[in-house]
Amino acid sequence: MADFFSRMFFTWFLMSLGLWKLSEKMNWEKRWMAWIPGLRYYAFADSMDMRAEGMGCGVLEILYFLMSVSPFAFEDPTKLVIAALISLAIVIALYVYRIRIFMRMILLFDLKRRWLICWLIAEWLTVLVLGFGRKYQPHPEVSFQAGWEAGMEPAQISGVSAAMNATTASRNGLSVLLRERTVRELGKKKYLLKDIAMNIPNGSLVLLLGGSGAGKTTFMNAVIGYEKADADIYLNGTNVYKQYGQMKYKIGFVTQTNLVRTHDTVFRTISDAAKLRMPLSVKLEERNERVREVMDLLGLTPVASGLVSKMSGGQLRRISIAIELVSDPELFVLDEPDSGLDGVIARELFEKLKEIAGTGKIVIVITHTPDRVIDLFDKVIVLAKDSGRVGRLAFYGSPGEAKEFFGRDSMEEIVQCVNRSEEGGEGLADDFIEKYARSRIGSTSADQTGEEVSSDED
Amino acid sequence: MKTNLRYRGRLGQIGLYLGKFMRIFVYQNDWKVLPMAAVISALVVFVVGRNLFVTQEGTATGTFALVCVCIWIGFFNSIQIVCRERDVIKHEHRSGLHMSSYLAAQMILQFLICIAQTVIMLVVCRYSGVHFPEKGIIFSNGVIDLGVTLLIITFTSDMMALMISCLVHTTTTAMTLMPFLLIFQLVFSGTYFELPKAAMGITFLTISKWGVISLCSIGQYNAQPMVTLWNTLFKFRNIEYMGEKPLLRIIQNMEKNNTVHDFLMWSAKYNQNDLYTSDALNVWITWIALLLLALVFVIISIISLESIDKDKR
Repeated sequence: MADFFSRMFFTWFLMSLGLWKLSEKMNWEKRWMAWIPGLRYYAFADSMDMRAEGMGCGVLEILYFLMSVSPFAFEDPTKLVIAALISLAIVIALYVYRIRIFMRMILLFDLKRRWLICWLIAEWLTVLVLGFGRKYQPHPEVSFQAGWEAGMEPAQISGVSAAMNATTASRNGLSVLLRERTVRELGKKKYLLKDIAMNIPNGSLVLLLGGSGAGKTTFMNAVIGYEKADADIYLNGTNVYKQYGQMKYKIGFVTQTNLVRTHDTVFRTISDAAKLRMPLSVKLEERNERVREVMDLLGLTPVASGLVSKMSGGQLRRISIAIELVSDPELFVLDEPDSGLDGVIARELFEKLKEIAGTGKIVIVITHTPDRVIDLFDKVIVLAKDSGRVGRLAFYGSPGEAKEFFGRDSMEEIVQCVNRSEEGGEGLADDFIEKYARSRIGSTSADQTGEEVSSDED
Repeated sequence: MKTNLRYRGRLGQIGLYLGKFMRIFVYQNDWKVLPMAAVISALVVFVVGRNLFVTQEGTATGTFALVCVCIWIGFFNSIQIVCRERDVIKHEHRSGLHMSSYLAAQMILQFLICIAQTVIMLVVCRYSGVHFPEKGIIFSNGVIDLGVTLLIITFTSDMMALMISCLVHTTTTAMTLMPFLLIFQLVFSGTYFELPKAAMGITFLTISKWGVISLCSIGQYNAQPMVTLWNTLFKFRNIEYMGEKPLLRIIQNMEKNNTVHDFLMWSAKYNQNDLYTSDALNVWITWIALLLLALVFVIISIISLESIDKDKR
């Protein structure tokens, strides 16, 4: 028993010493963690943006320690066999986690893959060599820390909160007063969106612009109540969050992927959606008329009796739109409706969306190829990641105003100028977020399109 | 502005989705589960059907195999049906779909499929020469008792697989879990394989245990002859003891006096099992136990699907 513990102590000491030296090279915040079994792998992985793996590894390491001392507690051979089996399962899981973490380390230190074998055979020795070897240094161009820190702390940009507070909800159209949208990731609060306020009038076709990861889909999910944020969202004076039970029928959301059962006919698919989403007060003939109307509008009448699985990509996209449109929503949101469509069909689709908006609805569209149809849009929302990688409002206004505001000739150039430099952009997001916030403070009252929503409306 | 428009309620949604699922059942080739039931039951009955409901040994083996067929069929019916369209359900839930209606529609369809599969199994058994119990315990006809039991076993297994399909997020995970569930049902039935005493409690949670008890009760297990002892005697009939063959002489005597059947029934007395008592109460208990298990599976399914909005993107 003494031999067992002395061997364990020896391994712990050398491993901890190696990690302690490594922690210096990797700029750990809490270097003492290198000496605590369970915590050391967590800290090690956390410093490489692998917090979940680190946490799993830490827990397994503690469990493994407990299981390895269990033979001293059990005398019953059955219990010993069970303990051995559990230990085996823990060791397998532990090694899978460790391999993942060490693979990231290989990338960070720009090592050859054969180091993984060395590490598997003699972990403590490998860590000692990497920790004390002067020639082993983290690759200067590889940084994971920034990735993990994304969204932990929003950038301090002056004027944004003031602009947010200066905006009041309008009774007509869509009012968005989004203070923040956060998530908890392994106990840490992470900001996804912050301080976004706007009033969108009815009858608008709105383009939602932003680079990859700027929070476009998150923003839309928050606006329509799918993923609730700390926000006040009003649609024609009704609080979307508080009256969600009723409001969900007035919102149509076409997701990025086609969420359709493929083994049913096109007509039945749309007709069933109408039955589910339309009020019972709507008569059968009226409902069928609406189904036919929507199918005509989207060019689906010729394929009405066909199976959804036999449809082309464009037809499938239009079926997805028809499912949402059939209930005649007041707010219609489409996430990349033109993906997979060629230019002509995409243009036709946007013209139809413009028609829908013309009936007094609000249609918000996310698209990555906006310039071919920019003439159809009434408003543009530009979201951008600030320097803390939190989604912010960089602009809301007409397409013409957007070009003037950003000093660019196209929407794609606007996206590029607010994108981060490591993403191939110009990294000007913070500047434009601040510029827009300042411009808002001066023009908030002029922007109100209707009567304010009173506080007792909720 | 507050509106009080009424939308399609739970009952209305059940009808709507039942129609949809029936069309999908036809279009998606899910109907293949019906011929599959015929093939699997034919295979099993070919091997174990000859002595099913004839001898105690044949009934014990045959009912266990029949229960395994039902579990297998039930599992395959629904193991993928929810998880394969989880994203669609999530989206529809946000558009007003009630999960209880969705699951009720699935349950009704699965019940109808199970009825069809049970009829197929019974037909296959009949044409394979299985000797059905003539007199029923609950109903006047033993075939109806047998059919109801097979239906309940298949349906409960179906609901168990439906629960798994609701709990997991992908078809891959569902199909990975299925063999474990099957093995668990087979090994922990507590009827065919001997289990340590400590594990006997688990057997009450298995569909296989209640299924075998029910089938053996209906099949009059305790009233059937036992052939193992006779077969053993016959096997060793030529063993000589002090220049004679005593076992052979006993066998010949019994054959001569026409008392073989009496011997088989006498030996069966020592192999009777209280669990398989052929009375209405016993059968009702097994049916209720199976239906309670199905109810638990359905409740877990509803609870798990109600939290579908928490699925990560």
